[in-house]
Amino acid sequence: MDRFPLFDDKSLILQIQEGNQEAFAALVDRHAKRFYSTAYRLLFSKNEAEDIVQQAFLNLWERRLLWNQDKGAKFTTWFYRVVVNLCLDHNRKKKPMPLSGNMEPVDKQDGPEILLDEKQKQALLDLFIQELPERQQLALTLCFYEGISNLDAAEIVGIKVKALQSLIMRAKTTLKERLNHHFDSGSMFKR
Amino acid sequence: MDRKQFKGNLLLYGADLSKWPEEERQAGAELLRHSPELQSLFAEQEEFERILKTRKFEEPSNNLAQRIVSLSVPQNIKVPPRLGLFISDLFADNFYLPKPAFIVVSIFMITALMTGFFIGFSNPIGSTSTDQGQANLQAFLHYKGDVLWAKE
Repeated sequence: MDRFPLFDDKSLILQIQEGNQEAFAALVDRHAKRFYSTAYRLLFSKNEAEDIVQQAFLNLWERRLLWNQDKGAKFTTWFYRVVVNLCLDHNRKKKPMPLSGNMEPVDKQDGPEILLDEKQKQALLDLFIQELPERQQLALTLCFYEGISNLDAAEIVGIKVKALQSLIMRAKTTLKERLNHHFDSGSMFKR
Repeated sequence: MDRKQFKGNLLLYGADLSKWPEEERQAGAELLRHSPELQSLFAEQEEFERILKTRKFEEPSNNLAQRIVSLSVPQNIKVPPRLGLFISDLFADNFYLPKPAFIVVSIFMITALMTGFFIGFSNPIGSTSTDQGQANLQAFLHYKGDVLWAKE
């Protein structure tokens, strides 16, 4: 339950800057799930996503006086940037995941329905998304999975809207091609 | 809107016309109604998005927010109790005990003091006779035949 329902994010931040822990708790309550979701999509791990969200909020609390309201950015947009940067940084430090046995390409003669169960399909999809260039992955996560507008997503990524749209389209095209190729000439999209 | 633009919008905004920009929605719907080719593309895009949405997602732990908030509270560092530290604190100017603890410590110290007096006065060292004391000393000096101290 929101402890400060009448306070918008900016007002909460002002309270937090005065050291109000209750306001900080309210802000965390209000947004932790949303940022976790983004972090999870980028990190593919529950524990790592929780750690990153925790780190981002604790940084916010410890450096609360550094937040500058006058810059005009919405709190959520600014904080998405914080979380996204932490995630990308975390991913760069991680070793690349090897292609596991159950993600090997399907033998086209056998047909996808026989060989792949739902979990394997999910793992394959995760793999294809992971293999996208970093920015395409980010654009897809923000706009498709998190439902953020192109305008806000462009601000989060730090590029122009047209460039962001181009990233989304390239990401979707690549994924479509890879899924089609993997599932016997487009059979994945046939009902 | 031409077919190329429609395909671009389909890829960008997805197979849900309500999510298209308002100014393009109407024209898109019109084009879709009259083109079997675009209808097929639209259906394919719907299926593609359905598959994208099957991506695994794990909900966060229920106590995630609570955990973050509790970590932001300064933690009191627990120091193991040390007698020397306690005594030096006792004489420090800013020594402070909460009232209940102060009462308990006071009662304990008064009781210890009174017990000490009671024991001391009920069995004083000087109450043993001089002869008995001398005998005890001899017994100690000549314990098991050893002479630890030369007789005067």
